[in-house]
Amino acid sequence: MRRRNRTGWRRVINGINISTFLVVLFIGLPLYWLIASSFKTPVNIGASPPQYFPDPVSGAGYSQAFNQYNFGQYFINSLIVTLVATALVLIFGTMAGYALGRLPMRGKFTLMVSLLIISVFPAIAVIAPLYTLLKDLGWLNSYQGLIIPYTAFNLPFAIWILRNYMLGIPKEMEETGRIDGAGPLRTIWSIILPMALPGVFTAGIFCFTACWTEFLMALTFNSANNFKTIPVGIATFGTALEVPYGPIFAASVVAVVPIGILVFIFRKFVISGLTSGAVKG
Amino acid sequence: MTTISTPAEQVPASAPPAPRPDVNRKRMARLGWSFSAPALILIAAVTIFPIVYSVVMSLSNVTVTGSGINLGGFTTSNYSAVVSNSTWHYALGFTVIYTVVTVVVELVLGTMIALVLQRLTAGRGWMMALLLLPWSMITVINAQLWAYIYQGTYGVATALFGVQNILGTKTPAIIGLMVADIWKTTPFVAIIVLAGLVMLPGDIYEAAEVDGSSGWSTFWRITVPLLRPTLALAVLFRVLQAFGLFDLPFVMTNGGPGTATTSLAILGYKAMFQNLHFGTGAAVATTTALLVLLGCLLSLRTFRVQVGKENS
Repeated sequence: MRRRNRTGWRRVINGINISTFLVVLFIGLPLYWLIASSFKTPVNIGASPPQYFPDPVSGAGYSQAFNQYNFGQYFINSLIVTLVATALVLIFGTMAGYALGRLPMRGKFTLMVSLLIISVFPAIAVIAPLYTLLKDLGWLNSYQGLIIPYTAFNLPFAIWILRNYMLGIPKEMEETGRIDGAGPLRTIWSIILPMALPGVFTAGIFCFTACWTEFLMALTFNSANNFKTIPVGIATFGTALEVPYGPIFAASVVAVVPIGILVFIFRKFVISGLTSGAVKG
Repeated sequence: MTTISTPAEQVPASAPPAPRPDVNRKRMARLGWSFSAPALILIAAVTIFPIVYSVVMSLSNVTVTGSGINLGGFTTSNYSAVVSNSTWHYALGFTVIYTVVTVVVELVLGTMIALVLQRLTAGRGWMMALLLLPWSMITVINAQLWAYIYQGTYGVATALFGVQNILGTKTPAIIGLMVADIWKTTPFVAIIVLAGLVMLPGDIYEAAEVDGSSGWSTFWRITVPLLRPTLALAVLFRVLQAFGLFDLPFVMTNGGPGTATTSLAILGYKAMFQNLHFGTGAAVATTTALLVLLGCLLSLRTFRVQVGKENS
């Protein structure tokens, strides 16, 4: 009896291991291909049949990406636009999330549903008017030309996440602050904010990821070489005749690093954000 | 001061009068609006104003001049040009089929992966980190990676499966695009489903086991119905998002071969920024937005359940 149980167990474990292994392969193989290809020499990257392991390991793609294709500038542009937009989203989003989660306002329900709908609205619907507006302001090819739209488009979802966290904070906490004579801004800063911090992290990660990966607006508004962000840069490396995959994949690996670190550190918050009901890809 | 006070008004002079609740409420509401104002004004300026302007543009006789766009007079010709255009019919059909296929496959595969991970005892954190990597990857990178995999002479898919010229032939190009999308988004669906699974009450499963329910029927009769709200919201967001499909085909195939992978967003973008037909482009964009809005209104119940749940 005991023996049968044990072999049964082992079979289960083996079964899980095989399916887990398949999942890892499914996700991991394309990732491996991206990283391996970034270390191939310019000749070997176009080898047929393809090289399954980079041999020799080469850093040519990396030096080409930075020296020949201006990738360092794209990286800095992405970083500036993403960080400023994320900071603005968190400041305005926390204030609005607090108000919508904890203060008695009329029409809250309509407002929340409208925000949810705006957060899934396709960017193509607003791109032409924004383009003409930015052109009239002289803000095409500028940082603010991306920061302002990114802030506005990511605010609805951030407000949703933050509001959900605010709802979960007990009312007594605020009253303590009020009795101590603290003003509303002070109450938010020193009592509500520390408790809502997980929500702030979650909203921050989502906003950072969305800004870091955004393509359509960056392509339309900032097409000058000095103001391209990473996605636009990587999409426009090379010409119609030749696609330089070496520098493209080297740049891609570098572009994954910041967000990979961020997601890895805060993976608990990302997952709780994905699962708090408000879901967005 | 000489009037006789009712007991309720006899407050000690030292204590400030307590504000009446409705006055307090009004003040708090005002505070709420002033706190939300920066966010709401910004959202309105950058999203609602352009949406309205887009609609106006789609109903105008737009001409492009050296200094910018001239709206011209009212016309419905943009819409009639779009609706009678066979490219638009194709783009609409392509976008719908693409959305349905990718979302269904992602849901099935994602649920399978979630069930596997649910039974995983060790290393779940690492698996989660691995699942988050494709989700957080720039779509343009995903597009370049798969374009390289499908490359006609040295692509690894060509070498392994002997398929020639994947992105240059209509049906293989569409399937190739879907595979790239499924690879990137399935992990995201898996995480949501897994979170839903973890939150299900365990005693129901014990009861099912006592009743002699098999694994398969437990899954269909207990797990799926209980997961339905989670799945519904995930599907809704995925559908609405997939409908705006742009980055992947724009970089991988540029909408080709021919117009085989031209989505509604690519059609609108090309009309506006490559052919400078801002009127028709705006009409394409507006009809796409209207379809998304229609989808939202049809699923308002799912949204409402969400808001209601959070309020309780």
